[in-house]
Amino acid sequence: MPIVIEQGTNRYRGLVAVGLAVAVLVVLWASGLDPFQRGQVTRVLIYAVAIAGLNVATGYTGLLSVGHSAFFGIGAYTTGILVEKAGWGAWATLPVAAVCFAVGLLVGLPALRIRGLYLAMVTLAFAVAFPEIVARFDGLTGGAGGMAIHRVNLRPPAWSGFTLGEKDKWLFWVAVVVLAIVTYLIANLTRSRYGLAMSAVRQNEIAASASGVNIAIVKVTSFGISGAITGAGGGLFAIYLGNLYAEGSFTLMAGISLLIGLVIGGERTMLGPIVGGCVLIYVPYYTADIGQGQASAVLFAVALLLVIFLAPSGIVGGLGQLSRRILVVRPGRPALGRGSVPAAPASSGGHSSPNDRGHSALDEPLTGIERQNS
Amino acid sequence: MTALLEADSIVAGYGGATVLHGLSVTIDPHEVVVVLGANGAGKSTLLATLSGQLPFTGSIRVNGETVSKVRPDVMLRKGVSLVPQGRGTLTALSVMDNLLVGASTRRDKAGIQQDLERWFSVFPRLDERKDQVAGTLSGGEQQMLAIARALMSRPELLLCDEVSLGLAPVIVQGLFETLREINQESGTALLLVEQNAELALEIASRVYLLEVGEVTASGSAEQFRNDDSIRAAYLGY
Amino acid sequence: MDIFLTRVFSGTTSGSVYVLIALCLVIVFRSTSTINFAQGELALLTCYFSWWLTEHGWNIWLAVVPGVVLGFAIGAIAERWLVRPVRKRDESAVLIVGLALFTGLNGLDGWIWGSDDKVFPRMLPSGGDSYFTILGARLYYDSALIITIMAVVVLALTIFLTKTNVGLQMRAVATNPTSAALCGVSVGRVLTLSWGISGALSAFAGALLIPMVPPGQLGLGSMFDVLIFATAAALLGGLDSIKGAVVGGLALGIGLALVNGYLTFIGGSMSLTVALLVILAVLVVRPTGLFGARRLERV
Repeated sequence: MPIVIEQGTNRYRGLVAVGLAVAVLVVLWASGLDPFQRGQVTRVLIYAVAIAGLNVATGYTGLLSVGHSAFFGIGAYTTGILVEKAGWGAWATLPVAAVCFAVGLLVGLPALRIRGLYLAMVTLAFAVAFPEIVARFDGLTGGAGGMAIHRVNLRPPAWSGFTLGEKDKWLFWVAVVVLAIVTYLIANLTRSRYGLAMSAVRQNEIAASASGVNIAIVKVTSFGISGAITGAGGGLFAIYLGNLYAEGSFTLMAGISLLIGLVIGGERTMLGPIVGGCVLIYVPYYTADIGQGQASAVLFAVALLLVIFLAPSGIVGGLGQLSRRILVVRPGRPALGRGSVPAAPASSGGHSSPNDRGHSALDEPLTGIERQNS
Repeated sequence: MTALLEADSIVAGYGGATVLHGLSVTIDPHEVVVVLGANGAGKSTLLATLSGQLPFTGSIRVNGETVSKVRPDVMLRKGVSLVPQGRGTLTALSVMDNLLVGASTRRDKAGIQQDLERWFSVFPRLDERKDQVAGTLSGGEQQMLAIARALMSRPELLLCDEVSLGLAPVIVQGLFETLREINQESGTALLLVEQNAELALEIASRVYLLEVGEVTASGSAEQFRNDDSIRAAYLGY
Repeated sequence: MDIFLTRVFSGTTSGSVYVLIALCLVIVFRSTSTINFAQGELALLTCYFSWWLTEHGWNIWLAVVPGVVLGFAIGAIAERWLVRPVRKRDESAVLIVGLALFTGLNGLDGWIWGSDDKVFPRMLPSGGDSYFTILGARLYYDSALIITIMAVVVLALTIFLTKTNVGLQMRAVATNPTSAALCGVSVGRVLTLSWGISGALSAFAGALLIPMVPPGQLGLGSMFDVLIFATAAALLGGLDSIKGAVVGGLALGIGLALVNGYLTFIGGSMSLTVALLVILAVLVVRPTGLFGARRLERV
């Protein structure tokens, strides 16, 4: 029954074209919404970028992090500081995700010696520490009281054709482009040899190391890339909000929220971060009147548990599995061959292997080695 | 005479791999049976199945009754106790505590006390070290502890997984002597799994040969000792 | 000298609370090799429950009892139905379950009882005049009581673990669950019991703690910082060591009191920062802590 389409064929190209067309239509529709709605969509896009960054470290490399709120914050404050203190144009600060990359490398260093629970605790410490650090360097950051970015500094660049008053519209388009670029980069990254290494490290470090993967480099750079992408989202966030308040937006709860968004949306999928962003923005919005504003927290918890127990690959992964009953996309036959790409047949939207979670009971007996701290 | 343990057409394995391909073994009361086989033949898998740790297809009967739910505590209550490969010492606990844990399924305080005294006299080294942390014991002492711990549940059948592993020959000799005594005095049946089984064969009455998950030969210990090809392959001479 | 002693007493008091919650973390870790991220939020829920009872006229000491029972129940249920099914699968799945509980329990508190701060009745006498004077330093009655309570709890726990059959089984499962199972120990029941005890103890500790920590009121954020302190204490002592939890908790409490007292030039409360540094230092330098024996990963 399932329709099978092979990559590289005309039918496949047609499928991709349809997908792109749908995406373009959605974006165009969103850009035409009233400012408030469009602002919500912008927030979704910004969080999608942040979650996509988290996806690189946690989803693809298996390094669980609740501390990406700190990367988000570093990106935001970097933009804020450069704009307010050093007079940079706001829109030029986005490439300063490089700062986050460097910090990410640093945070990734403990991952060399510890994993799993202990690494998560390091990221937890990182997340809790960030507002403290912000408060302590109050000369630079405005401290606990927050930092304001003057609106006039957020004027869209002249070549964009947008006026200061249309700053939000310009931000919307920038967010769309950034998310598209990030998604494309991550897609390529995960399909490359590096992506294979990430996947190997996630599933079985010992076997990966024995196969010649340099797990140290993979883990550390993975954190770096992950931090950089989330930081880029943070920069966008600073422009969106114009007002930075660490205790509100860059706390441990925020870091946990990003993780929740990723897991519910779907780890190791391309669309998962976007779904996660939607969940994070719209669920609290629509449930603000229920349960004294706390309903969304409970709903997230329930959704998270449902995902863990019923659909470990999240909403996108789960839908992807369902859709595979109707439509299956196969890698092209002559080109790479099945052996070199560890992908199960992927549908056009998802990119997940449902059996990825966990490892088989054979893993340890096969390597014959007890797990040690690496 | 009803067999003590009958395992019928056992198919078992790990993950996706089948290790045992429908094998059957029987142990009679008071017997000493040895299972020989190379690495990977499935000996430990067999013991893991018989002690209730692995799911399997087939049936296991103890004293004629089929065991419906085969789990470690169930098999233990039926009188089947395992001395695991690698000793399985509870390293953070004292020697005494290790033995007490072995008696977890029993409620008779007086009987437990009696057994403690008995095993301390059979293994005086354990008595000397009874309050010592078990992880600090030598390999041989930990093996004695593992055997004594398994015996604390007063089993009818003791499964021994490579008791000789990593121990000096003189110690192994002592251990097998002790096992023979235990078999003769208490009547506890023994199922010994060994790779290099020269010493084990001396106290055994029957032998099974396991190859790639199937019983390929069985017979009396005498026959096995006298069979040149088996000796060459499994006894090293 | 008396100021130093006063600080030591104050540090011992807060340290005692850290010990109690660190013990909860350690009991769970010894049984299931994971940390229950939601430990603090579990305590928070039971505190809200107890508070709600006091609003209906219950005396606070009586109200804590159902709270403790509730803590036991939630802990036990969480282990049996939420943690055990996913443990075999993936260690990160267990962490995510913990985070789900963290978020959900906190949200539940807000949903049922509102996000405004509540006044939580003091369990122990306090006030300007109620203190001993020892070597010129003040030891408040409620501080002395908390330290005593901690000592009693540690003693009771030690006796339970070393002198009872159930305690022996718990220790056996903590060391080697497979061997324990082969000896007929019901490992599942032991795990459930461990989580239950941990939940009950954290409920009790929470009730003691809430009035002590500024602002002395019960709010949704009451347990955030405590979790960090308890985690630092447990890590410092070694996540699988009861003795370590005691040493770690007291060391952290006294250490923080001294740091805050003497290093005032840095300004502001250093407590959280120091605790975070302790966590980082332990994880990077010696993950098994001072007295821990476990390897980092379950094999």
